[in-house]
Amino acid sequence: MILTGLLLGAVLGYVLQRSRFCVTGAFRDVYMARSTRYLVPFLLAIAIQAIGVAALTGLGVISPDPASFAPLAVIGGGLLFGIGIIMAGGCATGTYYRAGEGLLGSWVALIFYALFAAVMKYGPLGSFTDAARARTVGDATIQETLGVSVWVPTVLFAGIVAGLVVWQVRRNAGRKQAALPARRTGIGHYLADIPWSPWVGGVLLGLIAIAAWVLSTAAGRNGGLGITTPSAKIVTFLTTGDVTLVDWSVMLVLGILLGSFIAAKLSGEFRWRVPDAATMLRSAGGGVAMGVGAALAGGCTIGNSLVETSLFSYQGWVSLIAIMLGTWGAAWFFLVRPQKIAAANRPAAVLTPAA
Amino acid sequence: MAAYTLETNGAVCPFPLIDAKTAMEQLSTGDDLIIGFDCTQATDSLPQWAAEAGHEVVAFDRVGDAGWTITVRKAA
Repeated sequence: MILTGLLLGAVLGYVLQRSRFCVTGAFRDVYMARSTRYLVPFLLAIAIQAIGVAALTGLGVISPDPASFAPLAVIGGGLLFGIGIIMAGGCATGTYYRAGEGLLGSWVALIFYALFAAVMKYGPLGSFTDAARARTVGDATIQETLGVSVWVPTVLFAGIVAGLVVWQVRRNAGRKQAALPARRTGIGHYLADIPWSPWVGGVLLGLIAIAAWVLSTAAGRNGGLGITTPSAKIVTFLTTGDVTLVDWSVMLVLGILLGSFIAAKLSGEFRWRVPDAATMLRSAGGGVAMGVGAALAGGCTIGNSLVETSLFSYQGWVSLIAIMLGTWGAAWFFLVRPQKIAAANRPAAVLTPAA
Repeated sequence: MAAYTLETNGAVCPFPLIDAKTAMEQLSTGDDLIIGFDCTQATDSLPQWAAEAGHEVVAFDRVGDAGWTITVRKAA
């Protein structure tokens, strides 16, 4: 039943749009704003998924297969992907849901991302990607190296995240943020009016990631949430007509577009928005870097940073760090540096002595 | 107290926030900065920044579909 992918994707798109969940922003703002406002909820999503996946694996419902670790491809690809998502203004899922909100710049990024993921996976650079990803070392997961049950890293990580959640909630207690006037009453007020907090987004993202494992396995695809491979499959299907490529994950990514469109439309947040030429070009370049980077690293901020991390694979955690460093470097180059140059070129204030 | 407008429509996040911060530096205490924006994430990041920096949000409303305006009064 691949149609469950469309349904779960729509739920995911809806949740991301309402909670303004942006993994790019979560990573970027640790550096730019010294803020973990979205990072801790993202780690919470990993922890929730890790517990669910370990339990379901123990029960024999699913059998995850963590990726082998190819350090060069994962680090290089992760850095490149991190740079790409700053240029494109959103990670893979972010780009899908912003496209659903009507941002034409995100459509440009999405098209180049999917195209270059296809070039790297099924196209002329397929053998290069395979060769880079074949240079693997040692164990695939942390628990393999330590010779312990998956529950050891799961419980340890969940404990750390619980501590971070308590710290962040306490730190923000009492701070009041201005809100938009209400436009709906009753249940509609909660579903399609007020924005959802990052905590709601993180918890639901974790639960959706668990559901993805169960539904995808039931549809004959052993895996959880994934964005890059299905994006490459859509391009390859459209250009070759190979129907076997249309699987559960393809339905999932199409569902994200649909769910985010519905959420934005119901909340009065959908409009075709046209960026300037510079933004459009940068989005295109970002899309290329995202497609190449994610294909090399074996996943994006979802496939690696959210899903592989919950399996405690080296690929997941090393690429999460590489992507984050990539966003920091690119944020400095594209966002902080231009401001500093502008500030340095600004004429000094002219002070007139008081009479 | 003076009021200034900053139109950021078409700019994607984090540019509305970056521009707002830069503009705010040029204002005096008590001045109002009226920011127009159409990036959805800024509906969170702009009021969040105001709350953190201690600026008062005087007005915050929608302007048609996927458009917003927020008026931030500079704190001392």
